[in-house]
Amino acid sequence: MEAFYFVPEMLFYAISGLILLSSIMVVAARNPVTSAIFLVVDLFFVAALYAQLDAHFTAAIQVLVYAGAIVVLFVFVIMILNLKPDALRGIRFSLGEALVLLITLAGFVIVGSELAHTAPDLTMPGNLGSAAIEMAGGNTYVVAMRMFTAFLWPFEIASVLILLAIVACVMIAKKDKRVTKS
Amino acid sequence: MGMNLGIDFSSLLQWNDFTVDLVAFAVKFAILVGGLLQLPPLLVWIERRVPALMQRRRGPNRVGIFKWRLYGLLQSLADTVKLIFKEEVVPDGAHKVFYHLAPVFCVFPAFLVACAIPYGPDLTIYGYKIPLSVVRMDVGFLFIFAISSLAVYGVSLAGWASNNKYSLMGSLRASAQMISYEIPLGMSLIPIVLIYGTLDLGKIVEAQTSFFQWGVFAAPLSLLIFVICMFAETNRAPFDLAEAEGELVAGFHTEYNSAKFAAFFLGEYVSMFVLSCLASTVFFGGWQVPFVSYDALVAMLGSPNFVAPVGILMLLLKASFFMWVYIWVRWTLPRFRYDQLMSLGWKFMLPIGLANVVGTAIVLAVLRFK
Repeated sequence: MEAFYFVPEMLFYAISGLILLSSIMVVAARNPVTSAIFLVVDLFFVAALYAQLDAHFTAAIQVLVYAGAIVVLFVFVIMILNLKPDALRGIRFSLGEALVLLITLAGFVIVGSELAHTAPDLTMPGNLGSAAIEMAGGNTYVVAMRMFTAFLWPFEIASVLILLAIVACVMIAKKDKRVTKS
Repeated sequence: MGMNLGIDFSSLLQWNDFTVDLVAFAVKFAILVGGLLQLPPLLVWIERRVPALMQRRRGPNRVGIFKWRLYGLLQSLADTVKLIFKEEVVPDGAHKVFYHLAPVFCVFPAFLVACAIPYGPDLTIYGYKIPLSVVRMDVGFLFIFAISSLAVYGVSLAGWASNNKYSLMGSLRASAQMISYEIPLGMSLIPIVLIYGTLDLGKIVEAQTSFFQWGVFAAPLSLLIFVICMFAETNRAPFDLAEAEGELVAGFHTEYNSAKFAAFFLGEYVSMFVLSCLASTVFFGGWQVPFVSYDALVAMLGSPNFVAPVGILMLLLKASFFMWVYIWVRWTLPRFRYDQLMSLGWKFMLPIGLANVVGTAIVLAVLRFK
């Protein structure tokens, strides 16, 4: 481990840098398709970060659900909307937004420094460390056991809520036959 | 020897689990990519010779070296050279960045997914165990679905960035189709996960030790759904509506030519190969040799390392059967109509897939209860 110890660390910083860069591009790009694609890249690298934490299940689900399904629908909608080509080039930037960015960054630094005082010792593996998860039967097993025992009710209620949303969408999108005929 | 860079290279190349993993990964990845790049020319040749056989004509049989024609095998080489050296024409109104990026989005997921397939039993070199898949994960199944769901972006971006109505129509069709059939494809494999109790593809293969333990006997309905969805996922006939030449010129890659067009081909053939490998891994025992158990093979050949090439050959043989089915079906069945395709996916495949999952779960629960 000693010889190549720097590889995981370098990967972490590379992935984090790419996440920051693509996150900025999501809000900065003028073209909504560019924004959407950077969102995909962003979500993909967040999944890579999960994978580096040995949370393979979460990483796979992250890519499957967010990058592979939800943003596809964004891209779909954006493509069907007919966008004017002139307003779509370059990067969006204005003074007001830069000010907001500055205040956000200041807040981020304050919160970060506060957290740094009170944060638990990150060098010690806790009960969610990769070794502990491996002992408990692996990622998928642990997630499934928590979800279907301790958090069964919230899980079921959330799924009913999503089902309701789907039914509502279909009802709204459905053509009213009486109106179209007359 | 004047190589004093302040780094002690001997300590850098100490063999331990980590460095062995790193080097093995690099070597396996290089071999895999090198091998997959040879696929499309070979498959294009087969895809021309097979229909020629089926339609009682000759097919390409001229291009060879001097007097050896090799059944026209070098036709593909000539085609590849032509595709690469052709002039590249980029449409005026195209979105330049995405136009060039779209083929990358098509090829990259296909190669990444190929990394998760277990191609053979573990090798043991100097006491280090090396699995014969580029990366072995405990969630190999989910990894394959996650990454292959990214292939939609290549298709949709290609159509949109070309700034062509036919391209956009083709890409919308293709992406709607890929999203719709991803769901029954995933559903069809859930019974397999339930039966073998793991998401690790390597463990699923190891569980199929004897012939009658193959996935096809445990979940025959899954195989049917999987094979149908396999065609739709790769946009192959009879579901090749994305490139219905009668209506859409060539669909999402109408405006592409030269090497970028070849890249779409590469992506399509690699994902065909990967799905064929996945089907053989899950339903036909992967690298397991039928009727001969792994232990018997080890005893017969003397070492587990000698079983590995046999396993790889076995998997390739099984996968080539599915590749043959791809080509066979393409030249047998006519294309579906778009609404037929959609209603088949949502109103037939999805309910059957769900029923298959619930049925398998009930049977397993009853068996466990006894």
